[in-house]
Amino acid sequence: MCILTMKILPDHHTDAALIAKVKNGDERAFTQLVKKYEQTVWGFAFKLCRDKQKAEESFQDTFINVFRKIDQFDSRSKFSTWLYTIVANNCLMHRRKRKLDGLLESFDEAPDVENSEVQKQLAAWDDSPIETMMNKELRERMDAAIQELPDEYKVVFVLRDLEDRTAEETAKILKLSVPAVKSRLRRSRIFLRHKLHDMMTA
Amino acid sequence: MKHSRSQTKIHVHTLSCGKVYEHLCDNLDSKLDSEACRRIKAHIKGCKNCSALLDSLKKTVYLYKKYPAPELPEKSRKKLFAVIRLDKSKNRAAR
Repeated sequence: MCILTMKILPDHHTDAALIAKVKNGDERAFTQLVKKYEQTVWGFAFKLCRDKQKAEESFQDTFINVFRKIDQFDSRSKFSTWLYTIVANNCLMHRRKRKLDGLLESFDEAPDVENSEVQKQLAAWDDSPIETMMNKELRERMDAAIQELPDEYKVVFVLRDLEDRTAEETAKILKLSVPAVKSRLRRSRIFLRHKLHDMMTA
Repeated sequence: MKHSRSQTKIHVHTLSCGKVYEHLCDNLDSKLDSEACRRIKAHIKGCKNCSALLDSLKKTVYLYKKYPAPELPEKSRKKLFAVIRLDKSKNRAAR
Protein backbone atom coordinates (compact mmCIF):
# COMPACT_ATOMS: atom_id res chain seq x y z
CA MET A 1 0.00 0.00 0.00
CA CYS A 2 2.77 2.36 1.02
CA ILE A 3 4.85 1.65 -2.06
CA LEU A 4 1.84 2.16 -4.28
CA THR A 5 1.04 5.46 -2.62
CA MET A 6 4.65 6.61 -3.05
CA LYS A 7 4.50 5.80 -6.74
CA ILE A 8 1.31 7.69 -7.48
CA LEU A 9 2.01 10.73 -5.37
CA PRO A 10 3.49 13.69 -7.24
CA ASP A 11 7.04 14.60 -6.32
CA HIS A 12 6.13 17.67 -4.26
CA HIS A 13 3.97 15.48 -1.99
CA THR A 14 6.87 13.17 -1.15
CA ASP A 15 9.09 16.24 -0.68
CA ALA A 16 6.50 17.79 1.62
CA ALA A 17 6.50 14.67 3.81
CA LEU A 18 10.30 14.68 4.01
CA ILE A 19 10.44 18.41 4.73
CA ALA A 20 7.86 18.09 7.49
CA LYS A 21 10.12 15.50 9.13
CA VAL A 22 13.21 17.70 8.70
CA LYS A 23 11.32 20.57 10.33
CA ASN A 24 10.74 18.26 13.30
CA GLY A 25 14.48 17.63 13.58
CA ASP A 26 14.60 14.26 11.79
CA GLU A 27 18.24 13.93 10.68
CA ARG A 28 17.57 10.84 8.54
CA ALA A 29 14.95 12.76 6.56
CA PHE A 30 17.49 15.50 5.93
CA THR A 31 20.00 12.90 4.68
CA GLN A 32 17.31 11.56 2.32
CA LEU A 33 16.57 15.05 1.09
CA VAL A 34 20.27 15.70 0.41
CA LYS A 35 20.64 12.38 -1.40
CA LYS A 36 17.63 13.14 -3.55
CA TYR A 37 18.81 16.59 -4.59
CA GLU A 38 22.61 16.48 -4.32
CA GLN A 39 23.17 15.87 -8.03
CA THR A 40 20.74 18.65 -8.96
CA VAL A 41 22.47 21.14 -6.67
CA TRP A 42 25.99 20.01 -7.60
CA GLY A 43 25.26 19.98 -11.34
CA PHE A 44 23.60 23.38 -11.31
CA ALA A 45 26.36 24.91 -9.16
CA PHE A 46 29.06 23.51 -11.45
CA LYS A 47 27.35 24.74 -14.60
CA LEU A 48 27.10 28.21 -13.09
CA CYS A 49 30.57 28.45 -11.54
CA ARG A 50 32.47 26.32 -14.14
CA ASP A 51 34.93 25.64 -11.34
CA LYS A 52 35.03 22.54 -9.14
CA GLN A 53 36.16 24.30 -5.99
CA LYS A 54 33.57 27.07 -6.24
CA ALA A 55 30.87 24.53 -7.06
CA GLU A 56 31.83 22.61 -3.91
CA GLU A 57 31.56 25.78 -1.82
CA SER A 58 28.18 26.50 -3.34
CA PHE A 59 27.03 22.91 -2.72
CA GLN A 60 27.97 23.21 0.97
CA ASP A 61 26.46 26.67 1.40
CA THR A 62 23.21 25.64 -0.28
CA PHE A 63 22.47 22.63 1.90
CA ILE A 64 23.61 24.41 5.06
CA ASN A 65 21.16 27.18 4.15
CA VAL A 66 18.45 24.59 3.54
CA PHE A 67 19.13 23.01 6.92
CA ARG A 68 19.16 26.34 8.77
CA LYS A 69 16.21 27.92 6.96
CA ILE A 70 13.92 24.94 6.37
CA ASP A 71 11.29 26.55 8.63
CA GLN A 72 11.03 29.43 6.15
CA PHE A 73 10.14 27.08 3.29
CA ASP A 74 6.49 27.28 2.30
CA SER A 75 5.44 23.71 1.54
CA ARG A 76 2.91 24.87 -1.04
CA SER A 77 5.83 25.82 -3.33
CA LYS A 78 8.03 23.38 -5.21
CA PHE A 79 11.09 22.42 -3.17
CA SER A 80 13.29 22.31 -6.29
CA THR A 81 12.34 25.93 -7.12
CA TRP A 82 13.46 26.98 -3.64
CA LEU A 83 16.71 25.02 -4.02
CA TYR A 84 17.50 26.59 -7.40
CA THR A 85 16.87 30.02 -5.86
CA ILE A 86 19.36 29.35 -3.07
CA VAL A 87 22.06 28.02 -5.43
CA ALA A 88 21.59 30.93 -7.84
CA ASN A 89 21.78 33.47 -5.03
CA ASN A 90 24.89 31.79 -3.63
CA CYS A 91 26.70 31.75 -6.95
CA LEU A 92 25.66 35.25 -7.95
CA MET A 93 26.63 36.62 -4.53
CA HIS A 94 30.09 35.01 -4.67
CA ARG A 95 30.76 36.38 -8.10
CA ARG A 96 29.27 39.85 -7.57
CA LYS A 97 31.97 40.48 -5.01
CA ARG A 98 34.57 40.18 -7.74
CA LYS A 99 32.79 41.72 -10.70
CA LEU A 100 31.98 45.20 -11.76
CA ASP A 101 28.30 46.04 -12.11
CA GLY A 102 29.02 47.88 -15.35
CA LEU A 103 29.32 44.63 -17.28
CA LEU A 104 25.63 43.79 -16.86
CA GLU A 105 24.53 47.28 -17.83
CA SER A 106 26.63 47.28 -20.99
CA PHE A 107 25.20 43.87 -21.96
CA ASP A 108 21.62 45.00 -21.29
CA GLU A 109 22.04 48.10 -23.39
CA ALA A 110 24.05 46.62 -26.25
CA PRO A 111 22.16 46.35 -29.54
CA ASP A 112 21.05 42.80 -30.26
CA VAL A 113 23.80 40.87 -32.00
CA GLU A 114 21.08 39.18 -34.05
CA ASN A 115 20.48 42.16 -36.28
CA SER A 116 23.96 41.93 -37.69
CA GLU A 117 23.88 38.12 -37.65
CA VAL A 118 20.78 37.73 -39.77
CA GLN A 119 21.86 40.29 -42.30
CA LYS A 120 25.08 38.61 -43.27
CA GLN A 121 25.36 35.28 -45.04
CA LEU A 122 25.77 32.63 -42.35
CA ALA A 123 28.06 29.68 -42.89
CA ALA A 124 26.47 26.36 -41.94
CA TRP A 125 27.94 24.53 -38.96
CA ASP A 126 29.80 21.26 -39.29
CA ASP A 127 27.45 18.28 -39.49
CA SER A 128 29.71 15.84 -37.60
CA PRO A 129 28.14 14.30 -34.51
CA ILE A 130 28.59 16.67 -31.57
CA GLU A 131 30.06 13.90 -29.39
CA THR A 132 33.01 13.43 -31.77
CA MET A 133 33.71 17.18 -31.76
CA MET A 134 33.88 17.55 -27.98
CA ASN A 135 37.64 17.87 -27.54
CA LYS A 136 39.78 19.86 -25.11
CA GLU A 137 40.05 22.85 -27.41
CA LEU A 138 36.30 23.11 -27.87
CA ARG A 139 35.66 22.68 -24.14
CA GLU A 140 38.10 25.49 -23.39
CA ARG A 141 36.36 27.72 -25.93
CA MET A 142 32.96 26.86 -24.44
CA ASP A 143 34.23 27.64 -20.93
CA ALA A 144 35.68 30.96 -22.02
CA ALA A 145 32.48 31.89 -23.90
CA ILE A 146 30.10 31.17 -21.04
CA GLN A 147 32.39 32.92 -18.56
CA GLU A 148 32.11 36.05 -20.67
CA LEU A 149 28.35 36.15 -20.17
CA PRO A 150 27.26 38.37 -17.28
CA ASP A 151 26.07 36.14 -14.42
CA GLU A 152 22.50 37.42 -14.71
CA TYR A 153 22.42 36.10 -18.28
CA LYS A 154 24.34 32.92 -17.65
CA VAL A 155 21.97 31.83 -14.89
CA VAL A 156 19.01 32.22 -17.27
CA PHE A 157 20.76 30.16 -19.97
CA VAL A 158 21.67 27.41 -17.48
CA LEU A 159 18.20 27.21 -15.95
CA ARG A 160 16.29 27.29 -19.24
CA ASP A 161 18.52 25.35 -21.60
CA LEU A 162 20.62 23.09 -19.40
CA GLU A 163 18.28 22.44 -16.47
CA ASP A 164 15.14 22.51 -18.65
CA ARG A 165 13.20 24.80 -16.32
CA THR A 166 10.24 26.61 -17.88
CA ALA A 167 10.33 30.36 -18.53
CA GLU A 168 7.76 30.80 -15.73
CA GLU A 169 9.78 28.80 -13.17
CA THR A 170 13.00 30.58 -14.18
CA ALA A 171 11.24 33.91 -13.71
CA LYS A 172 10.08 32.81 -10.26
CA ILE A 173 13.55 31.58 -9.24
CA LEU A 174 15.27 34.77 -10.36
CA LYS A 175 12.43 37.17 -9.48
CA LEU A 176 12.29 38.41 -13.07
CA SER A 177 9.42 38.91 -15.50
CA VAL A 178 8.86 36.23 -18.16
CA PRO A 179 9.70 38.71 -20.99
CA ALA A 180 12.98 39.53 -19.20
CA VAL A 181 13.81 35.81 -19.02
CA LYS A 182 13.07 35.42 -22.74
CA SER A 183 15.14 38.43 -23.68
CA ARG A 184 18.15 37.30 -21.61
CA LEU A 185 17.89 33.78 -22.98
CA ARG A 186 17.81 35.07 -26.54
CA ARG A 187 20.88 37.24 -26.03
CA SER A 188 22.74 34.46 -24.22
CA ARG A 189 22.09 31.89 -26.95
CA ILE A 190 23.15 34.18 -29.76
CA PHE A 191 26.22 35.36 -27.82
CA LEU A 192 27.41 31.79 -27.19
CA ARG A 193 26.67 30.74 -30.76
CA HIS A 194 28.67 33.71 -32.00
CA LYS A 195 31.64 32.79 -29.78
CA LEU A 196 31.76 29.19 -31.05
CA HIS A 197 31.01 29.99 -34.68
CA ASP A 198 34.52 29.95 -36.18
CA MET A 199 35.40 26.65 -34.50
CA MET A 200 32.26 24.99 -35.75
CA THR A 201 32.60 26.09 -39.34
CA ALA A 202 36.35 25.47 -39.78
CA MET B 1 -3.33 22.47 -42.52
CA LYS B 2 -1.06 21.98 -45.49
CA HIS B 3 0.21 24.92 -47.50
CA SER B 4 0.49 24.93 -51.22
CA ARG B 5 3.82 25.87 -52.81
CA SER B 6 2.52 29.35 -53.74
CA GLN B 7 1.23 30.01 -50.20
CA THR B 8 4.62 29.01 -48.76
CA LYS B 9 6.33 31.42 -51.11
CA ILE B 10 4.10 34.27 -49.93
CA HIS B 11 4.94 33.46 -46.30
CA VAL B 12 8.66 33.51 -47.01
CA HIS B 13 8.38 37.02 -48.30
CA THR B 14 5.93 38.38 -45.72
CA LEU B 15 8.19 37.57 -42.77
CA SER B 16 11.46 39.33 -42.13
CA CYS B 17 14.51 37.32 -41.04
CA GLY B 18 14.67 39.52 -37.93
CA LYS B 19 11.20 38.38 -36.83
CA VAL B 20 12.05 34.77 -37.55
CA TYR B 21 15.24 35.17 -35.58
CA GLU B 22 13.36 36.48 -32.56
CA HIS B 23 10.98 33.56 -32.66
CA LEU B 24 13.76 31.01 -33.16
CA CYS B 25 15.69 32.23 -30.19
CA ASP B 26 12.66 32.09 -27.95
CA ASN B 27 11.40 28.69 -29.04
CA LEU B 28 14.21 26.54 -30.42
CA ASP B 29 12.25 23.32 -30.27
CA SER B 30 8.78 24.72 -30.43
CA LYS B 31 6.26 22.21 -31.68
CA LEU B 32 3.39 24.66 -31.51
CA ASP B 33 1.09 24.46 -34.44
CA SER B 34 -0.13 28.03 -34.45
CA GLU B 35 -0.43 30.11 -37.60
CA ALA B 36 2.68 32.06 -36.55
CA CYS B 37 4.66 28.81 -36.17
CA ARG B 38 3.57 27.55 -39.56
CA ARG B 39 4.72 30.80 -41.13
CA ILE B 40 8.06 30.58 -39.32
CA LYS B 41 8.57 26.99 -40.46
CA ALA B 42 7.71 27.93 -44.03
CA HIS B 43 10.18 30.81 -43.92
CA ILE B 44 12.98 28.63 -42.56
CA LYS B 45 12.37 26.04 -45.25
CA GLY B 46 12.98 28.65 -47.92
CA CYS B 47 15.68 30.73 -46.22
CA LYS B 48 19.21 29.34 -46.11
CA ASN B 49 20.36 31.93 -43.58
CA CYS B 50 17.60 31.33 -41.03
CA SER B 51 17.97 27.58 -41.49
CA ALA B 52 21.72 27.82 -40.74
CA LEU B 53 21.01 30.04 -37.74
CA LEU B 54 18.43 27.63 -36.30
CA ASP B 55 20.79 24.69 -36.75
CA SER B 56 23.72 26.48 -35.11
CA LEU B 57 21.61 27.70 -32.18
CA LYS B 58 20.36 24.17 -31.54
CA LYS B 59 23.92 22.84 -31.71
CA THR B 60 25.15 25.53 -29.30
CA VAL B 61 22.61 24.46 -26.68
CA TYR B 62 23.29 20.77 -27.35
CA LEU B 63 27.05 21.28 -26.92
CA TYR B 64 26.55 22.85 -23.50
CA LYS B 65 24.11 20.11 -22.54
CA LYS B 66 26.71 17.50 -23.46
CA TYR B 67 29.57 19.23 -21.67
CA PRO B 68 30.83 16.62 -19.21
CA ALA B 69 30.30 17.63 -15.57
CA PRO B 70 32.50 16.08 -12.90
CA GLU B 71 31.05 13.76 -10.24
CA LEU B 72 30.22 15.18 -6.84
CA PRO B 73 33.33 14.49 -4.73
CA GLU B 74 32.66 12.14 -1.80
CA LYS B 75 34.67 14.40 0.52
CA SER B 76 32.27 17.23 -0.23
CA ARG B 77 29.29 15.13 0.88
CA LYS B 78 31.14 14.06 4.06
CA LYS B 79 32.14 17.65 4.81
CA LEU B 80 28.52 18.77 4.49
CA PHE B 81 27.25 16.24 7.03
CA ALA B 82 30.13 17.07 9.38
CA VAL B 83 29.14 20.77 9.29
CA ILE B 84 25.46 19.90 9.82
CA ARG B 85 26.30 17.72 12.84
CA LEU B 86 28.40 20.56 14.28
CA ASP B 87 25.54 22.97 13.68
CA LYS B 88 23.13 20.67 15.51
CA SER B 89 25.40 20.18 18.49
CA LYS B 90 25.95 23.95 18.73
CA ASN B 91 22.18 24.48 18.73
CA ARG B 92 21.71 21.88 21.46
CA ALA B 93 24.43 23.48 23.58
CA ALA B 94 22.85 26.90 23.14
CA ARG B 95 19.45 25.72 24.45
